[in-house]
Amino acid sequence: MGTFFSDWYYLSIRNIRQIWRPIMALIPSMFIPIFFFVVNSQSLDRFSKVEGFPAHVSYKQFIAPVAIFTAIFFSAGNAGIELVQDISCGYFKKLLVMPIHHLAIVLGKLTEVAVQSVFQGGLVLILLMIFGVPINTGFFGVIAMFGMQILFAMAWSCIGMIAALRTQNARLVQSMFVLVFPFLYLTTSQAPKALLPPAFRTIVTYNPVTYIVEGVRALVLDGWGNPAIWQGFLVAGILFVVMVSLTLASFKSALK
Amino acid sequence: MHNSGMIIEVKDLAKTYPGGVEAVRGVTFDVKEGEFFGFLGPNGAGKTTTMNMLVNLVKKTSGTIKIDGFDVEHQPAEVYKRVGFAMQEIGLDETATAREMLELHGRLYHLPTKRIQEQIAKLLKLVELEKVADRYASTYSGGMRRRLDLALSLIHEPRVLFLDEPTQGLDPHARQLIWNHLRDLNRRGMTVFLTTHFMEEAETLCERIAIMDQGQIVTHGTVPELLAKHNAKNLEEVFLSTTGSSLADEEVNTKASDPYVRGRR
Repeated sequence: MGTFFSDWYYLSIRNIRQIWRPIMALIPSMFIPIFFFVVNSQSLDRFSKVEGFPAHVSYKQFIAPVAIFTAIFFSAGNAGIELVQDISCGYFKKLLVMPIHHLAIVLGKLTEVAVQSVFQGGLVLILLMIFGVPINTGFFGVIAMFGMQILFAMAWSCIGMIAALRTQNARLVQSMFVLVFPFLYLTTSQAPKALLPPAFRTIVTYNPVTYIVEGVRALVLDGWGNPAIWQGFLVAGILFVVMVSLTLASFKSALK
Repeated sequence: MHNSGMIIEVKDLAKTYPGGVEAVRGVTFDVKEGEFFGFLGPNGAGKTTTMNMLVNLVKKTSGTIKIDGFDVEHQPAEVYKRVGFAMQEIGLDETATAREMLELHGRLYHLPTKRIQEQIAKLLKLVELEKVADRYASTYSGGMRRRLDLALSLIHEPRVLFLDEPTQGLDPHARQLIWNHLRDLNRRGMTVFLTTHFMEEAETLCERIAIMDQGQIVTHGTVPELLAKHNAKNLEEVFLSTTGSSLADEEVNTKASDPYVRGRR
């Protein structure tokens, strides 16, 4: 068991090192969330005056969680791309012929995703606070917010890893990035559920990402009493278990 | 060493891929401890599939494989401790330096820190990468990458070294350098299992050679034995008479994707 934790640790260190090599690769994932936050919060500011919009909440505050979320989507997408690169260059096979636990390879990737999502999400959060977005649940709310988002980021990263293990095709894995848009925008990310058209509302209800967005939003705008918080944790936890299980199954099938 | 004196024991090994392609059809052979063993064959003969099964990268359909007495399928961890594998495709982490990669591999083989540092110093010297050890692998030439790949497969001082086309894509100088390293390692007692398309490489390095065609071993023996058995003047003729294709053609097929050779044409 000791070697399992050691394998996990050293593989995580290797993966985490890849995050900032090259450092320039981090810039788009920092720039895009802030860009959309600034553009949307300025151009749609009057939307917060519409009847049905939460009272005493500015549009800037309403979409702040989405900016953090976008940064996390970006960071989670890299795991699959890095894995397919390792597979295509042969490095993955090298790992497979070492006396290491295969689970440590997957956990090493998930640890990288967790670290990167805290790092990138944290930087975006600092910028949001500079722009005047308060966190109503305070320090522990920030911790809870990152906990929920880390769970979700790790689950989301599994989509890329499954695609990498099943297809070993770099183009396909990179194209999985487009899934961010329907999953992020078919939620309450841009407007409260009450203001959405009925058909859209149905889709939003069945999109699991909605519950994470609402959970994070509750931590930013409301207080601990909002049920959206535990619902967000529940959905993030279920997604994590399901997606990691599917990744491990893909891992086993890749070895046949 | 295992009691039989054979470090690799393969019996009735077969692999049928989903879809029914029979890549390997009942292969049996042994490799002695300390032997330099060559595996030749035309493209698609089943060499790489066989080698991948020997290191448990591909699951066998039937048969048995033992490395140093350990069953590859049921005792993979024991086997992995004893083997090093340098593949046809050079698997490097482009975002890491040679030193970082060697250290990581040492950690993953669970070597003590002191031994890892000693091995890193020794291997960097052996493959002549000391001066560039702290540069990212992405900045290395083809020859340097191949030598680093070899060093990575040696970090834990394996009993058996599997090499799949180790000099493909290298210029003659780099090829000679790799040959010297391999000879040296073999002289020190390491068993080397090599697949190659280069006749000169097989003749120069290998004590015993097996030729594979259409998933089966069609002949095997030392070079003099093969020449006598097939009444041939050289290995090329043996290859031609046993597989129906020329080794030179195979070299050409391989070199078509070889950037160094393509550039010289």
